[in-house]
Amino acid sequence: MHPTVPVRHSLTRRQLRTAVLFLAPAVAAIVLLRLVPFLGAAWSTLFERAGVGLLAEERFAGFDNYVTLFGDPLFLNTLVRTIVFNLVINPVQIALAMAIAVLMTRRIPGRGIWRTAVFIPCTIPLVGSSIAWGVALRGDGPVNGILSALGIGPQPFLTSPTQALPSIILVASWVGIGYWMLFLIGGLNDINNEVYEAASIDGASGWRTFWSITLPLMKRPLLFVLVADTVANFVLFVPPQLLTNGGPEESTTLLMFDAYRRTYTYSQPNLGATSTLVLTLIMLLIVAIQFRLLRERD
Amino acid sequence: MRRLSTIGLAAGMSVALLLSACGGGGESASSDASQAWTVPTSDPTASINVVGILDPKTDGMDNVVAAFEKEHPTIKVNYQHVPFDNLNSVLDSRITAKTGDPDVFWVDQPRVPALATRGYLEDLTSQLSDKTSGLQEATVTSSSFDKKLYSLPISNSTQILFYNKDLLDKAGVAAPSVDDASRITWQQLKSDAKSVQDKGGAQHGLLFGQPNRYYQLEPLPVSAGGGIGASGEGNLTPEINNEGWVKAMTYYGSLFSDKVTPRGIPAEQSDATFLAGKTAYMVEGNWMVGKLADSKLNWGAALNPVWEGGEPASPNGSWSVGMNPFSKNKEAAAIFMKWLAIDGESGYAKYRSYAELPANIEGLKSYLASSAFTGSEGGKQAAQVVKHETENTSVGRVSTVGYIEFEDIVGRAFSDIANGTDPKKALDSAQSQLVTAWKQYE
Amino acid sequence: MTTTGLKSPIGAMAPSVVPPSGRIDIQHKLMIGLLTVLAIGVAATFTLPALWMLLGSLRPGSQVIESVSPLSWHTLIPNTWTLENYTTLFGELRFGTSMANSLLVAFASVIIGLALSVPAAYALTVLHFRGREFVFSLLVIGFMIPFEAIAIPLAQLFTDWGLNNSYVGLILPGIGNGLAIFNMRQFFQGIPVSLREAAVIDGASDLRIMTRIYVPLSVTTLINSGLLIFLAQWSSYLWPLLIISDEAKQVAPIAIARTYTDTSFNFGQMFGGALLISIVPAVLLFLLQRFFAQSIATSGEK
Repeated sequence: MHPTVPVRHSLTRRQLRTAVLFLAPAVAAIVLLRLVPFLGAAWSTLFERAGVGLLAEERFAGFDNYVTLFGDPLFLNTLVRTIVFNLVINPVQIALAMAIAVLMTRRIPGRGIWRTAVFIPCTIPLVGSSIAWGVALRGDGPVNGILSALGIGPQPFLTSPTQALPSIILVASWVGIGYWMLFLIGGLNDINNEVYEAASIDGASGWRTFWSITLPLMKRPLLFVLVADTVANFVLFVPPQLLTNGGPEESTTLLMFDAYRRTYTYSQPNLGATSTLVLTLIMLLIVAIQFRLLRERD
Repeated sequence: MRRLSTIGLAAGMSVALLLSACGGGGESASSDASQAWTVPTSDPTASINVVGILDPKTDGMDNVVAAFEKEHPTIKVNYQHVPFDNLNSVLDSRITAKTGDPDVFWVDQPRVPALATRGYLEDLTSQLSDKTSGLQEATVTSSSFDKKLYSLPISNSTQILFYNKDLLDKAGVAAPSVDDASRITWQQLKSDAKSVQDKGGAQHGLLFGQPNRYYQLEPLPVSAGGGIGASGEGNLTPEINNEGWVKAMTYYGSLFSDKVTPRGIPAEQSDATFLAGKTAYMVEGNWMVGKLADSKLNWGAALNPVWEGGEPASPNGSWSVGMNPFSKNKEAAAIFMKWLAIDGESGYAKYRSYAELPANIEGLKSYLASSAFTGSEGGKQAAQVVKHETENTSVGRVSTVGYIEFEDIVGRAFSDIANGTDPKKALDSAQSQLVTAWKQYE
Repeated sequence: MTTTGLKSPIGAMAPSVVPPSGRIDIQHKLMIGLLTVLAIGVAATFTLPALWMLLGSLRPGSQVIESVSPLSWHTLIPNTWTLENYTTLFGELRFGTSMANSLLVAFASVIIGLALSVPAAYALTVLHFRGREFVFSLLVIGFMIPFEAIAIPLAQLFTDWGLNNSYVGLILPGIGNGLAIFNMRQFFQGIPVSLREAAVIDGASDLRIMTRIYVPLSVTTLINSGLLIFLAQWSSYLWPLLIISDEAKQVAPIAIARTYTDTSFNFGQMFGGALLISIVPAVLLFLLQRFFAQSIATSGEK
């Protein structure tokens, strides 16, 4: 069954050479322009400034930055809030993106237009759409106008500590769902018709077909969307920055916003990097779990 | 593959070393950079890079640069517009690269202490401090820190109480005054605003042009006896939860809970909301005068309100220009800065057609003589207010190296109070956050 | 309109291919009708805010806020129509140059990015070598790193290398996209190994197998990955801000910031600018969808 040893050896060597050639440009770009600077940032979390700002001399501080962050109840709250936010937003976005992707792969007239319509929000620069939602969601804004017309009183979307984060989730999902739909449509198109034909001969209902056939065959695109969506939502900060500035009562302060604020508003790069590193480590952990859960059984 | 990753790591390490080299060693370079230079009597030949927050076309900076280059033909100015809310990031990146680019940049006046302490601003004291007599004193003070001149003010600002005449008339409410002796109180303003809502059909009673911003709200606690927000050495002891502050902010919160002021209208929406004509009063900066003059609104202007039984106070300050300590063209840069701020009526004010309240005293006169301030009754009232407040009641923002954190934390507390958080609780929390944030400056 | 000329793809939940009896046919048509209504509803929900922005950009700037309250037809439909915001955007605000720069940067990034990603994804999928999982996890970590965390030191490095104020400086950070590689790897894994094995026996090189077998089978994924790289560059804001100081090379997202200052804000112009930026990727998706073909390769095997 196995080829003889020398052949296998030369085969492996050839494969290795091809692999190096094929991978080197992409790996070099990612290592040099992402990973190395990030290692620099990670290293800088062990330092603090002898004075104020970026020009001040750095001195070794051990884990002082971590002690500072984890000793700050506001940071700990932000950490918990970020995790909860992601536990809610990712399943919601993916479930909706999946439902819409299934709908948009049915043989319906004008499908391309409806798909493009759902995709449009993610093409609008976040600055513009966040500002627009800020107007739409204000106390006397159109969304409340519609709610009032429906007999529901105006809601304090962005000004109440209980509704602000759900409002951010709404805006982020409006932006994100069309984007993830696109990748799921790709996956759905890839499922062969014969599978469905077989299912229909067996007399399976549409719903059962979806659960027992479509979903298992969507494992690969779903893993991609799950991981990519998780990462996107962990590093999300423009909507809370523009719509609520992290408030009211810190209710929309997410970890990336915290890191951004420390780095760019307060010019505290070391603490900012520490906050980012914590964020990245949490993401890594969650993504590792996602890979394990959706692992292919070869 | 193992070999590849080893190479990758080696390359990585060298870049990492390079990166850390970029970070450190600032002190020696900056002392090197601050060698003696003077404002020369004849122009050097140079090209300088300038970073500002105004658009070259729509905000007229191209005209300013062209006028300067015409008067100083040997100095070329490369002007770059950076969005004001990203100025900090761009400066962090560019100045600390130590290439000397930009040579000159826009500075938010209350940030002068922070930027000076970070080593981003050249000390201009010996070269330019004897030339600032033509500038309004308050603006020079806020462009300085620790008795040193770190930037030159090009603009100033003040706040005005605007009102919608038609709505006030409809409700039979008397217009607030431009006379200091009968300046309206915040308490009176609230009840008047409520009346205009009830009887004049105003949708909103009172709007803040800069809601939840310390800049606009500082006069409230100051006038209520709470002080500017910090005291002690270097203004590094926060004082934002004393009686005066709690009193003032309880009032502020009540405006929202009593629905005199609407919640959730951020600064970028406030001017347009007032111009829509359904709001009785609005406290907003002098820049609103031009917008009102261009509108169809029947409007008036009055003095900034005072706390009942307190002293009047009005905000001031705007933008200055500062010099990069690493600049390689300090003399040319100084000539440009001096021309912008000091020369004549201030080149900046003059060639931007007095679009902003100039820091330059002669410039201020021309500003107040422009059509927005002379073309209507409201404009004339506004001119009176601007003149009176800038000369008599202006209170600078707290001068502290920790201003950036202060502004951010206090702003969020104000926002929470507006949204219904108990004022004492919000201020206590902000106070303790600020104590933590300011530890790094001890 | 969408997939003309191609084998019309059948949806994931499609019950049957050829309904034999007339009653089922009517049922089927009714179903399609209902689904169409549902699709239009979903599309409208997502478009309405954008439509409101579009109509806002077609009225004088100040009227956006003026018309917000009370809710009426005029909240959506302008009482005064004008193209003034767009003439200002393309005139005084110089959107044209910035859009052209953005297009150049985004397209160049897509081409180079795909040229880098396809072989990488191929190698990570079909080739067996030690450290494959390690390299893959490096790429995954690479796209998890928040760019904001490394932007300033990287910008200073680019300045040292003299890449500030250059298109190369704008393009370079966009080409190594781990997410695109991940996306393609997921798809390549579904292509039957037997295809490659047969080609290897015929003496084909991996380069040939990749370009002749994998790429043609992966059009949908290539489009998705291309759009992914495109959008990442198209919406990039902080990076161009940090490394471009010459306005002639500045990109469109930064140009939006020309519509406001610290004391003034023009909603009509801002919405117009944001929508102009959104048109290009939206049109791209609309046109490229026709190539969203159903895969023919994966038949039988999983």
